Amino acid sequence: MAGLRAMAEWLIGRGFLVVFVIVFLFFSVVTRHFFELENLLNIFSAMAPLAITAAGLALVVMSGRLDISIGSIAFLSCAIGALLMRASGLNPVLAAVIVVGCGALLGAVNAFIVVVLRVNSLIATLSTMIAYRGIALQLTDALLVQLPPDIRFIGNTRLGPIPVDILVMLLIVIPVHLLQSRTVFGRRIMAMGNDIAVARRLGLPVDLTGFISFVLSGVLASLGGILTTIQNGAVSPFLGSGWEFTALAAIVVGGISLLGGRGTIFFSVLPGVFIFEMIRNGLTNLGANPYSYRLVGGVVIFAAMYADALKSGRSLMKRTLRSRP
Amino acid sequence: MNSSRTVLRMEGISKAFAGVAVLRDASLEAWGGEALALMGANGAGKSTLMNILGGNVASDHGRISIDGSNVAIRSAREAALKGIAFVHQELAMLPTLTVADNIFIDNLPVSGPFISTADMRRRSQALLGRLGSTVSPESRIEELSIGDRQLVEIARALRHQPRIIIFDEPTSSLTEPERRRLFKVIRGLKAEGVLIIYITHFLDEIFSICERVTVMRNGETVWSSPMATVDAAKVVHLMLGVSAGEGRIREPTASPGGSLLQVRGLRRSGVLKDITFEIRAGEIVGLWGLLGSGRTELMRALVGLDPIDDGTIWWKGKSGLSNIAPRQLHREVGFVTEDRRGEGVHLALSIRENLALPNLKSLLSNFLLIDAGRERELAHAMIGRLNIKASGQDQAVGTLSGGNQQKIVFGRWLAANPRLFLLDEPTRGLDVSAKSEIMRLMVDLANQGCGVLLVSSELEELMRVCDRYLVMNRGSLISELPGSATAHELMAAIAESGNGNGSW
Repeated sequence: MAGLRAMAEWLIGRGFLVVFVIVFLFFSVVTRHFFELENLLNIFSAMAPLAITAAGLALVVMSGRLDISIGSIAFLSCAIGALLMRASGLNPVLAAVIVVGCGALLGAVNAFIVVVLRVNSLIATLSTMIAYRGIALQLTDALLVQLPPDIRFIGNTRLGPIPVDILVMLLIVIPVHLLQSRTVFGRRIMAMGNDIAVARRLGLPVDLTGFISFVLSGVLASLGGILTTIQNGAVSPFLGSGWEFTALAAIVVGGISLLGGRGTIFFSVLPGVFIFEMIRNGLTNLGANPYSYRLVGGVVIFAAMYADALKSGRSLMKRTLRSRP
Repeated sequence: MNSSRTVLRMEGISKAFAGVAVLRDASLEAWGGEALALMGANGAGKSTLMNILGGNVASDHGRISIDGSNVAIRSAREAALKGIAFVHQELAMLPTLTVADNIFIDNLPVSGPFISTADMRRRSQALLGRLGSTVSPESRIEELSIGDRQLVEIARALRHQPRIIIFDEPTSSLTEPERRRLFKVIRGLKAEGVLIIYITHFLDEIFSICERVTVMRNGETVWSSPMATVDAAKVVHLMLGVSAGEGRIREPTASPGGSLLQVRGLRRSGVLKDITFEIRAGEIVGLWGLLGSGRTELMRALVGLDPIDDGTIWWKGKSGLSNIAPRQLHREVGFVTEDRRGEGVHLALSIRENLALPNLKSLLSNFLLIDAGRERELAHAMIGRLNIKASGQDQAVGTLSGGNQQKIVFGRWLAANPRLFLLDEPTRGLDVSAKSEIMRLMVDLANQGCGVLLVSSELEELMRVCDRYLVMNRGSLISELPGSATAHELMAAIAESGNGNGSW
C-alpha cells in the first residue's frame, strides 16, 4: 500500500514523462511504421523549425514575459528574404543574413514596445503578431513565394543517415541552452522571471536584459522560419501560423513555467516540441483525421499541466509546513 | 578606545516628502564593534533615516561622516562601495535560483563566457561559513526557511566587506531558534568590528544585543545613550512621547451589556499564544501593543483570514453563545482596516455603487435586477448618517478624501447591521478632524449596543474612546487594564514584558 502511494507520488511528480511514455508506447504498438528509425528521424527533422523558434520564446517566457509574435516574425522575415531572391536573384546566403536581420529588427520593435513603452508583453506581441502577418501577406499578395530551384534541394540533404535539419537544430538550440544556463545573461533572465521588481532592486540591468531577450526571440523565430522555408521549398502564406501557441504549449509541457524563472532550454524545449510532433506523426501513421490532431494535442497539454498542478500543489504545501516548524 | 574603530556620524539630517517633513535635524552616532538600537514608533522617521544612509533616499540637509571624513551617498551602489550594507525586512530573494546565484547575482564571477560555478560555490561556502550557516550553496532558495533565506541575504551583504550593516526588523518573521542564531551572527559581526544599526519593535531584543540606543519621534532624534542607562519603560516613553491628546469622547462605560464574543485558548503556531478574552455589547476594547505584537494577526485569525491551530470562538447568536468558525464570524462582524483598497473599496466606482455592492441581494427587484431607486435611497441614507462630504452619490470614491473613503468602508458594513466591529488602525493616514469623526462614529456604534475591538498605534487615540484595554506582546495577551488607565500605566504594561525574554 505504501509502495503504491510512493509510486503514485513518483508518477505524479513526472507527469510529462508518464504522458510521453504512454503516447509513445501506444503509437509503437498500434501502428506499423511509427517505431522505426526512419520515422523517428522524420519526427526530429519535422520538429526542428518549431524547436528553434520555441527556444527563443522560452527565453522570453523564463524572463516572465510572453512573445506570441514569433510565428509572424518567421513569416515576415522569410517573405522578405524570398521576395528579394526572386526579384533580384540575391545570393541565398546574403538573403539568409537579411532574414535574420529582419528577425532581430522585428524583435527589437517588440522589445521597444514592451521595455520602453511599458506595454504588457502579451498585448504588445499580440498586436505585432497581427501587424507583422498583415505586412507579410501584403508583400506576398497572400501567394506562395517559391525559392530559386537551385537551393530547393537543401531541404533533403543528409549527413550520412541523419537529415541536416536535425543537426541545424542542435547547432542552434545547444548554444541557446548554454546561453541560458551558463552565462550572466541567462542568470539575469531567470532573476527577472523570479520577480522583476526584486531584480531591479538588486541593481540588475533589467531593461537591457529584457530588450535582448525579445531580439533573440525574433532572431530564433527567423532562423526557424528559414529552416521551414527550406524544408518546403517556398514561403507559404501560412508559414508560422499557429506556431506561437504550439511553441508555448510545448515549452510549458516541457517544464518551463509561464510565471518565469523555471526550466531549461534543451531539456524542456526539445522534449516538449517532440511530444507534439510525435502525436501528429503517430496520428498520421494511424490514418486518423487530420483535424483530430488538435483535440489530442489539447488533451496532452491538459494531462501534463494537471499533473504539474498536482505536483506544485503538493510541494507548496510541503514548503509551507517546513517554513513553520 | 581603538583608533581604527569605525565611527559613523549623521548630523542635522532633514528630509521632507511633498512638503511634509519626515526628518527634522535628526542625528545619530555609532561605533564599530557595537550595535546601535534605532527605536521609534511607526512613522518616527527611522526608515527614512536609514534609507538616507543606505543611499535609497537623498537627504535635503545634513552631513554623514564615516571615520571623520564626510561622505556623499547618492545610490545604494555607492553605499555598498563605502561599506554600508542594508538587510531589509523584505528580503530580495530569487526563489528558483540557488543560494550561490542569489549571493552573487549582481556580480557573477565568470571565466570566459560562462559563470564560474565552482568559484561562486567556494566563495558562497566561505561567506555562509562565517555566519555559521550550513546551507548548501547549491540549494534553491525556495527550499529554505525564512531564517535561512535571511542568512543568505546577510551573506550577500558581507560580500562587499561592509563596515556598517543596517538590520531593519530582521526578526519579525523568524522562529525562536532562528532568532537566536541571528543574534549569534550579529555578535560575531560585532566581534569582527562591524558597526550594526538594529531596528526593531521588540524591546527585549535590544537589551540583549545592543550597546547603545537612539530613539526617534516625529522625525527627530529625541534620545541617545548607552543601553545600560535606560530600561524598557523609558524606551517606550521616549518612543511614544506624552502628548496631551484630546479629551475623551465618551467616559469608560461601567455597565457594558452581555457577552458578545468570547475567545478561548486561540493559538497560531509562531504567531499567537493562548489568547483568551471577551467583548461585551456596547463596549470599545482597545487592543494595545507595539507593532509586531500580534494585534493585526489576532484580528485576522478571528475572521479566518489566517488559519488557527487551536482554540474556540463563541458568538452570541439568537439562542445564546455558541461555537462559531472564524469564517462564519467574518460574515457577522464589520471588519475595517487601514488598507481601504484591500477591504474592497472600489476607487473607480461611485459612492452609490460602493455602498450597494455588499448589499446587492437586498436591492434586487422582482426581475432580479438592481432596483435603482432603493440603491439611491441606501446611498442617501448612508451619506447622511456618516456625514460623508461629497458632491453627490455619483462621485467616484477615488476622488474623496481618505477620511470619507474610510466612512464608505464603514457604510458598506452598516447596512448589514453587524453587532461587532473589528477595527485595525481605522484612522491611519487621516487628518485630525477625519480621525475625530471616525472615533465619534465608533462611539455612536457602541452607544447603539455594538461591540468594538480597536487596534491603533496611537495611544492618545485609544485613550479617547476605550472602555478597556487588552495588552499584547509577542503574540500573547499579557494584561488587561481598565478604561481609566493612564498613558503611563499603558506604556509600562508593554514595557513590562520587554525586560523578560519573549520566547514562545
